[in-house]
Amino acid sequence: MKKVKIFFTAIAALLSVLAYGQNITVTGVVTDGSNGEPLPGAAILVKGTSDGVVADAFGNYSINVPANATLGFTTIGFKDQEINVNGRTVINVALESDTEMLEDVIVVAYGTVRREANTGSVTSLKGDALAEAPVTSVDKMLAGKMAGVKITSGSGQPGSTSTIRVRGTSSLNAGNEPLWVIDGIPVMAQDFRQLSNAGVGGGSSSTFLNPNDIESITVLKDAAAASVYGSRAANGVILVTTKSGKSGKAKFTARAKYGVQDLINDNNLRPLTGAELLEYRRVAAINAGYNPDDPTSDYYYPQSLLADGTTNWYKELTKQGSLQEYEVNATGGNDKSSYYSSLSYHKNEGVFYGIDFQRFTARVNADASLTKKLKTGARISVSYSDSNSGQMGDLYYSNPQYSMWSILPWTPMYNPDGSYNTDISENSGTNPRADASLNIYNDKEYRLQGNMYLEWKPIQSLSFKTTDGVEYLGEYSRQYWDPKVHKGTSAAFNYWSYDIRYTTSNTITFNDMFGNHSVRVLAGQEAMTDKFELLGGYSPNVDPAIPYPTTSTPEDDQVEYSFGDESMLSFFGVADYNFASKYFVQASVRTDGSSLFGSKKKWGTFWSVGGSWVVTNENFMKSTQNWLNQLKVRASYGVNGNNNISAYRAYGVYGSATVNGGIGFLPSTPDNPNLSWEKNKTWDAGLDFGFFDNRISGSIDVYSRITEDMLLSKQVPYTTGFGSNFMNIGSLSNKGLEFQLDGDVIRTNDFVWSLGGNIAFNRSKVLDLGGSEFLETSDSRAGGSNGGTPVRIVEGKSLYTFYLRDWYGVNPSTGAGLWWTEDDKLTSDRTKARYIYCGSPEPKATGGVNTSLSWKGFSLSAFLEFVYGNKVVYTNNYIDDGYDMTVNTTTAALNYWTKPGDTGVSPQPVADNPGAYYVGYSTRFLQNGSYCRIKDVTLSYTIPSTITDKIKMNGIKVYVSALNPYTFHGVTAMDPELGTYGYTMGAAHSMVKSFIGGVEVSF
Amino acid sequence: MKKTLAYIFGAIAILSATSCGKDFLERAPKLSLSNAIALADYEGCDKAVHGAYYYISSTGWWGADRVIENEMRSGNGVKSSAVNSNRCTQGYNWNYTDDNTNTAMWAYCYYTASAVNNVIDALDAIEASEQDKNNLKAECLFLRAFAHIENVLQFGQPYTYKKDSPGVPYVFHTESDAKPARNTVEEVYNFAIADLLEAEKIIDPTYVRKSSVDPCSVVNIYTIQALLSRIYLYMGEWQKSADYATKVIESGKYKMWTAEEYPDVWTADKGSGEVIFEVYGKRSNGTYGNWDDISWLTNPEGYGDPQVSDELLGLYEEGDIRLETYRDFEKAPGCHWTTKYAGKGDNAAPDCNNVVIIRLSELYLNRAEAAVHGAQTGSTAVKDINVITSNRGAAPYNSVGNVDIQTERRKELAWEGHYFYDLARWGKSLVRNGGNFALISTNQNVEFPSYKWALPIPKREMNLNENLVQNEGYTTTTE
Repeated sequence: MKKVKIFFTAIAALLSVLAYGQNITVTGVVTDGSNGEPLPGAAILVKGTSDGVVADAFGNYSINVPANATLGFTTIGFKDQEINVNGRTVINVALESDTEMLEDVIVVAYGTVRREANTGSVTSLKGDALAEAPVTSVDKMLAGKMAGVKITSGSGQPGSTSTIRVRGTSSLNAGNEPLWVIDGIPVMAQDFRQLSNAGVGGGSSSTFLNPNDIESITVLKDAAAASVYGSRAANGVILVTTKSGKSGKAKFTARAKYGVQDLINDNNLRPLTGAELLEYRRVAAINAGYNPDDPTSDYYYPQSLLADGTTNWYKELTKQGSLQEYEVNATGGNDKSSYYSSLSYHKNEGVFYGIDFQRFTARVNADASLTKKLKTGARISVSYSDSNSGQMGDLYYSNPQYSMWSILPWTPMYNPDGSYNTDISENSGTNPRADASLNIYNDKEYRLQGNMYLEWKPIQSLSFKTTDGVEYLGEYSRQYWDPKVHKGTSAAFNYWSYDIRYTTSNTITFNDMFGNHSVRVLAGQEAMTDKFELLGGYSPNVDPAIPYPTTSTPEDDQVEYSFGDESMLSFFGVADYNFASKYFVQASVRTDGSSLFGSKKKWGTFWSVGGSWVVTNENFMKSTQNWLNQLKVRASYGVNGNNNISAYRAYGVYGSATVNGGIGFLPSTPDNPNLSWEKNKTWDAGLDFGFFDNRISGSIDVYSRITEDMLLSKQVPYTTGFGSNFMNIGSLSNKGLEFQLDGDVIRTNDFVWSLGGNIAFNRSKVLDLGGSEFLETSDSRAGGSNGGTPVRIVEGKSLYTFYLRDWYGVNPSTGAGLWWTEDDKLTSDRTKARYIYCGSPEPKATGGVNTSLSWKGFSLSAFLEFVYGNKVVYTNNYIDDGYDMTVNTTTAALNYWTKPGDTGVSPQPVADNPGAYYVGYSTRFLQNGSYCRIKDVTLSYTIPSTITDKIKMNGIKVYVSALNPYTFHGVTAMDPELGTYGYTMGAAHSMVKSFIGGVEVSF
Repeated sequence: MKKTLAYIFGAIAILSATSCGKDFLERAPKLSLSNAIALADYEGCDKAVHGAYYYISSTGWWGADRVIENEMRSGNGVKSSAVNSNRCTQGYNWNYTDDNTNTAMWAYCYYTASAVNNVIDALDAIEASEQDKNNLKAECLFLRAFAHIENVLQFGQPYTYKKDSPGVPYVFHTESDAKPARNTVEEVYNFAIADLLEAEKIIDPTYVRKSSVDPCSVVNIYTIQALLSRIYLYMGEWQKSADYATKVIESGKYKMWTAEEYPDVWTADKGSGEVIFEVYGKRSNGTYGNWDDISWLTNPEGYGDPQVSDELLGLYEEGDIRLETYRDFEKAPGCHWTTKYAGKGDNAAPDCNNVVIIRLSELYLNRAEAAVHGAQTGSTAVKDINVITSNRGAAPYNSVGNVDIQTERRKELAWEGHYFYDLARWGKSLVRNGGNFALISTNQNVEFPSYKWALPIPKREMNLNENLVQNEGYTTTTE
């Protein structure tokens, strides 16, 4: 609105100047006071007339005015300035940015609102805060930055997913990831790759997004903010807005980054060296009554084992990774249309051999005014990613994250002829380096996200808008087992899958002001269809020369096929009202119909109400304006839903049953016409404040979120023909407190030191499990060689609770390990150890602290993230006290009992230890998982405009950055971040740190 | 212009709202069949009936446990101390609580009932000839009766002892929210008989399902009649039992195995000679138990826990060909195992085997037993018993009494899951003294009557269905 006014005034001014050019000519440059950058398009008006000009692309202007005129300088986002000419012919003006106005507007569901008018709980970040961090995906950048938004990685593998929890976990069987909405269209944010995300277990993936394309990210946390997304809003909504074009001459920005990566291992854990292991083994042998120097002994460990040299398998299986990223974007346009386009390439070579991730993205965002009242535009992005993985994640011998701890130091990596040694009995004859060089685990992903909108404003206060989007995701995965690695058998697996989704979103908005009454009413309709199909083939014994299905025997080939589709139809409305910018109320309602649910429960209605009071806009607060410039209280309540279940769960279906040498049908799933949404009932109360002209600002939120009708597999009497049915019966709650505080500690013209932080406390409680005493977590990593999960969900306790064998410690007089039994006695027999509930992997507090120092063109910023009060079970140290004499162990095993009186140590190692105190999921390996991670330290320098102007550049910036340079923690592990469930399962790719340098040039 | 745009936006709104009508939200699964589609035509119902045989072959039912557990409980089996995989102790020790009772049996009964009830309810609406529909219905009725009789044998007291005591719920229509109460033992028997009599009446006497590789694994008219003979016998309805035995015997469909054939018939791929109804063992079966298959369980080189009692072996005279269905094992001299499930050669190890559920010998034994209780059979007890002995290389009887028939029944049908229920209906206590019976602290001998002859109702069922009552003698800790 204001933009339009300025634009037209500027045009008018330009015309009038042409008509009346006389008097003296004043010239000058209009710049941004904060960084000296020119401000193209700034309007220069002669006070008291309609005369004026517009600054050019370099901020230069020239105007004929009376010598005593007063000039007004105006542009968006800056405070107006007036200057008396007083006969001067050169007037350079630095405009002060109007922070209030810049931050004024935030993106919310189906539109934007002034921050002041917002009644719900939202957190937003601008794109600038994201652009420098050297990570692959946007989700990773958000970690620790927003109160109540907890982002956890289960793996350090390039391109891996993140688990995102907005205000805790709300569901056991429906999903827990928030809804991602990009430019108004909900998109697919799960990982579809078959091979590259092992050992992580679900999560959100946003690797397809180029972080630099993002204008802003808003997270809608409570019901008032999110409810208009209805049945998909329960876990919060992440709204991503990509950059729009800026009118003016084409402006280019080029960026390049290069960096290196290493495994995080800040507590310096490593496998034992040859000498250490030999000593450990000799002690274990002697403790078991063997003579390690006797060649006929079962445990013959002479010093000569080390004679041929040893291999550090940790070092040999890892390397320094590298990161590179190149990007160029362009933006420009004229008064009718504008564009933003970008192209980027990212490559991350992993820290393990055979692992890498590459991505290309391209985007075009274009907007055009067709007539004064009709506007159209498109947001189109394409991306291609190519990831190579190993068998990361599971407990496979070829997984280096697993085998680097177990292969013996006196086992060589290479044969004398230079080929890979595969005579590694302790690792089942598998050399992980051979696997990495010969086997293939490759995923290729092709993604198109595109939408087009058409907006018509027949009158100023009324707008009709249709946004129509398509999203296509194609996936091709190929796995190949080379016979040289897999003991003479080869196999090829090929999978193709695609998912295609169409969305149409249509809204009518009425927005007007009548005196002190301001009203916005929005009504809308949306429809979505989605289809997924997968075809996979397993071809054993392919010819290594032609490792494709054509060379396998057709009768051995196996085909896998999967199909799913879903549809959704929605109607919704939002109404906002405010009186004199003091009192705000908002209500929203949405009705969703979904194919996922039962015939009797196809439709569900969700709603919210919220209100806020801007206390500082009251007349009686005028006197405090000088120190308290903003105070707002707000409260909301709403109900939203969670529809995150797989398709067809409501249908009673027959599956095939093989019996009597033929195939018949049998009931496989019971009919469930009442299957419906999980409902989240959330209330939220909050306070936003700003002191000293917003030099200190922040917010406090308190919330309660109750999940009802939680989907659980409920046991039913067998007389119904089934043992269980998927029903809406459970309930759990999340309650919490969130604080966010930002401030400028020092603010002078040259020097600014700002400090900010957030902290959130969430407490979960299981209220009702529909009659079950406890449930197992549905951890997708569980099963197979990985075994079961140590976390239970117990009624009355917090959501996740460890359930572990109860370790007492070491008998100080004998060095044997001891367990607690059911009847409070001590035993050295692990099979008699009792199980106890012992703490939760959920943190008591999470948050982050950021700070930045800027002086002239230099800026130093740092960000750290902390997690406090959670328990973790780390089992990948393999401290087995001599039980398995065939493998190596870690430095963590060296702290063992040596003499009577030793306490707080591991049992004394005994060869072939019959007691076998190693039980991974026991309290022996339960530790405090709190940590504080320095996520990012960046030093940047922007070359002053006095220099860049001379070389006709708009700006040059160089920076160096360290990501995850150090982590403070006390966990006996390489890294304490172990995912939402807080325990190791299998052996996922450990976390990485990066050091990076970059340059950004705009011209 | 304005008008045109208004039309365009109006049209978009209307189109997207209406084209997304009712059908828009209907997305049916494509890789499995929704109930309505699966049973919409004859082919679907036919496949659903084929599928209904599924659970019978499970190791939790006739695939293994129904045979082995009963043999272990009856004194025909002992828990091997020579070969031990920690299996089969529960049946041998009679240690049943509501927590470890035979829940699988209970579940499979109702899974089977649900599978056939769905078909029975769907048959009226499908297009097919009346006889085609009746044949399917007869199979369904048989399976429903069979499942419930099997269940009441486990969880109820013998009909001949207390027919008015609680049996099991007899489910005619499977409903997702139903919580049926237990019918009395008598009611269950009567419902089963009603189902079987109707099945006998409507089935085409020449009908045999073609979708099964082994014709003996599916229902025909003689299967129905043979089961009726068994049920009447268990009720003490001697005349009816004898009459139905006669129908099957005189059909000429089945032929006694000769002494020469006898040792080898058990591991054949398909049922032959005497077999009226059996489980077809196959590795491709969805229920295949792998290492828990009956062939591995009864193999001393496999798990081998169920060993044969000396008492049983002592019953056979020298030269009785039935002794050849017991094997020894060099690593455990003096110990014996049954070879009725030695493996048909579908796989090296573990293998699989058919399990006979009803065969012709049983019907001769039924009729002989009925005859000594006064039934008019057209034959005599001696004649019928000698049909057995003459084909087993055993000495013929000159006269028979009730005890002879009981002994001969035990010898002939040993390790086929009969003797435990025979003891129960005869009201005979379990006495396990001497021989190789391992001493156990409780339940070495079990009096009849005792609550122990009926298993406790599974705890989960008690907790989920408040209309069920627990059997006397057992406690249920409800939550």
